[in-house]
Amino acid sequence: MGSRTAQLASHAGLPSVTTSRMRRATFFSFVFLGTVIGIWLLFLMLQVDGMAWYEVGIILVFIPLYYQLNVGFWTALIGVWIMNRAKPDPVDLFRTITKDDLDAPLHATTAIIIPVYNEDVTRVFEGLRAVYNSLNKTGKLEHFDFFILSDSDDSNKWIEEETGWLELCRQLNAFGRIFYRKRRTPINRKSGNVSDFCRRWGKRYRYMIVFDADSVMSGSLMVNMVRIMEKNPGVGILQTFPKQIGADTFLGRVMQFAQALYGPAFIAGLNYWQCGEANFWGHNAIIRLAPFIEYCALPPLPAKVPFGGHIMSHDFVEAALMRKAGYAVRLIPTDHGSYEEGPPTLIDMLKRDRRWCLGNMQHFWLLFARGWHPISRLNFFHGIMSYVSSPLWLIFLVLGTIMAGMGEGVMGQQASFAGQLLLLLTLMFIFLPKTVIVMDEVVTGRMFKPFRLRMLTAFSSLLDTLLFTFMAPVMMIFHSKFVMKTILGQGVSWVAQRRKLGSGIDWREPILTFGGTSILGVAWGVLAFFISSNFLLWISPVLLALVVAIPFAIMTSSNRSLQRFGLFLTPEELHPPPVLQALNQHLKEVKDRPKMQPEMEQRYGLIQVCLDPYVNGLHVSLLRRRKHPHHSREYFAYLAQKLVAQGPNSLSSKELVAVLYDQDSVTHLHYQLWSAADENLAPFWRLAIRQYNLVAPNPFTHLLAQKEVTA
Amino acid sequence: MEAVTIHFAPKTGSEEEWNEAYARLADYFRSFRLHNRIRRTQLILETLRRAADAHEADPKRTPTAHAIEQARLMLREWLGQIYEGMELTESQIEGSGRLGFHLCDGPTRWPHFFIDRDNLPPDMAEAMRSAIRASGPRLQVSKMTPRAIDLGLFGDEEEDETDRRPFAFVRYFVLLLFVAAVLTAVYRLTIDK
Repeated sequence: MGSRTAQLASHAGLPSVTTSRMRRATFFSFVFLGTVIGIWLLFLMLQVDGMAWYEVGIILVFIPLYYQLNVGFWTALIGVWIMNRAKPDPVDLFRTITKDDLDAPLHATTAIIIPVYNEDVTRVFEGLRAVYNSLNKTGKLEHFDFFILSDSDDSNKWIEEETGWLELCRQLNAFGRIFYRKRRTPINRKSGNVSDFCRRWGKRYRYMIVFDADSVMSGSLMVNMVRIMEKNPGVGILQTFPKQIGADTFLGRVMQFAQALYGPAFIAGLNYWQCGEANFWGHNAIIRLAPFIEYCALPPLPAKVPFGGHIMSHDFVEAALMRKAGYAVRLIPTDHGSYEEGPPTLIDMLKRDRRWCLGNMQHFWLLFARGWHPISRLNFFHGIMSYVSSPLWLIFLVLGTIMAGMGEGVMGQQASFAGQLLLLLTLMFIFLPKTVIVMDEVVTGRMFKPFRLRMLTAFSSLLDTLLFTFMAPVMMIFHSKFVMKTILGQGVSWVAQRRKLGSGIDWREPILTFGGTSILGVAWGVLAFFISSNFLLWISPVLLALVVAIPFAIMTSSNRSLQRFGLFLTPEELHPPPVLQALNQHLKEVKDRPKMQPEMEQRYGLIQVCLDPYVNGLHVSLLRRRKHPHHSREYFAYLAQKLVAQGPNSLSSKELVAVLYDQDSVTHLHYQLWSAADENLAPFWRLAIRQYNLVAPNPFTHLLAQKEVTA
Repeated sequence: MEAVTIHFAPKTGSEEEWNEAYARLADYFRSFRLHNRIRRTQLILETLRRAADAHEADPKRTPTAHAIEQARLMLREWLGQIYEGMELTESQIEGSGRLGFHLCDGPTRWPHFFIDRDNLPPDMAEAMRSAIRASGPRLQVSKMTPRAIDLGLFGDEEEDETDRRPFAFVRYFVLLLFVAAVLTAVYRLTIDK
């Protein structure tokens, strides 16, 4: 593969070149039209009496912003059109499967891989159980293997994962079908974990379905995806639309609702113009392994981390590499059977965005690289713009403030007319897609058949508009910070993503996080007041959102999510499909169990591996024997002694992990603890030994639902 | 009902120490999920007797330490017997062996035979052996080597072919005309006459 996009390996699965060209010509003509008209109107507004530097600046930042607005607008509108077309989309890949195909046996082997990093073990393994059982119901389970690929560096999570794996295998009788692998050194994070799987086991499988720790997919969808890949050998990656599920906070439910309502139109629109050059989102997708192994290994970027080095947002790059190698990357516009969870609070969302921002900004290196398909290049650009647009918007507002401060208003009839037109046009670009999608729902009942629910959906949409109006300026400030931090070379640490609120709202966190934002809002408001009341009115929606950021973050983190009023409902909440029903039921069973003492609950994995003869045996069996154990024997003995005598808090997390990696130390620790006299044990262990058998009738099922062993 | 006489008279160590050893052993054997109390009691007594002998020989160590050590030795001997000929190292026999008993549901199915060297039901031994035979899928190592990405400016683009569908030129021309017409209309609408 040189610096040129390869000819397609096969056209099966890819819309013809002419179809793609026609679609893109149409789509980008509309985008071009909308953008140019906007720029022209703004120019007419500002050009009276010549253009000052800040007016030139306003136009310059306005261009990419308006382009982005237009891309969203036309994607959604075309999506709605596609969804309502009498004849189905000719490029829909589901149409390539015939009735005969559905009855035909599968010949391909597929690995389902779940990379995990310090995740909620119950959620991961219960999700896996739901997926496994769903596949079992299709009768095609034998063609799938499951791999939990752990990079967890929290010793407790590590042991919990091992016990969760063993117990799930035991309950499902799935030894030899569900595998667990723990990497000692998590090189290159998630993408490195996936590559490591590919290197070790990739040749055994024709396809791999990549999951996130919170992904759930129905068996029938996965079997159909394999069939589609079999029927369309030109497709390298097939990405599904993962719908958000399981939210229990106000913000989480609103995001979940918005994605369920507006998502399908955007996905249909994206599929319309992206054709065979769609994006990979890193999970809930099936990948053809041979070309992935051959062409999609990621080289490091020039310069040092964070802007260079290891590619963090690997998915976009892998999609571009796959297309460059001559395989199509397709989006499958179905809204059933593919699910994930979203962040529960605004702060969690921002933490996630911080990582994504850095990853997307790294793509700047690749934007001008040779050989990408133009749409892959555009995908990189859109990814970068999704964060860079925030500082651009901020600059736009700052320049607007300067302009108002200079006493420049919109003068003249022509400028005033252009301004009014621009305002109308912009409002249309912002709100028309939502309006059309809501009307589509009210008329067609795509989400809900009962008319009452359709009306509640329309009302919920009105409310979410209000919420997003308050959220957008806060996101703008934070995304701007993230972009600046990235440019200034501040990296991000790899942390597990929080998916549930858990112990409730911590008030200090929003106050500390958004305090500065609120002060900025107040200061800007005072400035605007002194400039002019008209300007204050114009900018007040943005400033108000900044001022109330703290109560907004607290309010949206609440568990009062208006579900009982029938607001923000999604079909998955109201009528969960079987795979989600099973998951919810099992999660509830575990959640309803009495909790242990917090100290024991927090260190349960460690207690298990040290005290429980079976868990200890499991852990030792899964460890590789070290080549030169005698080199560090004394050091491990010292750490083990410290752990026994002073308790787990006396060791750092790295020291704990180091001890747990040594077979002999772990075996010895087990007997050392049980044989130590009470006075030689740390209070933590005295309590643990006394209580262990009481709180854990079966330690393996502590984190999992207790189910009968499958025959 | 016959009276049960328990003979346990250690020559060394205090009563308090042996009580502590008893309690620890009880907890230890419970952690094996042996719900059969009679078997558990038998095991505790047997272990304590061996521990008493060991304590007499080495009274510096506590009875609890001796008791757990004896339990470990008894377990090792028992597991060694079961996994004989499977080419496992000492630590593998201990670790995997214990696990094998759990995986074949030993605590429920064969609680009476746990650490009983004289009575090894063949089905239990076979179940324990086969439980640890299952291993992961065979590695099929492949190379996944990153290829350098030429970060030079743009360069060659994809292989697009000429649109050869009917009236391709006319269709693109109409699209272009439409775009130009809309732009002209907006221009005429907004420009001062």
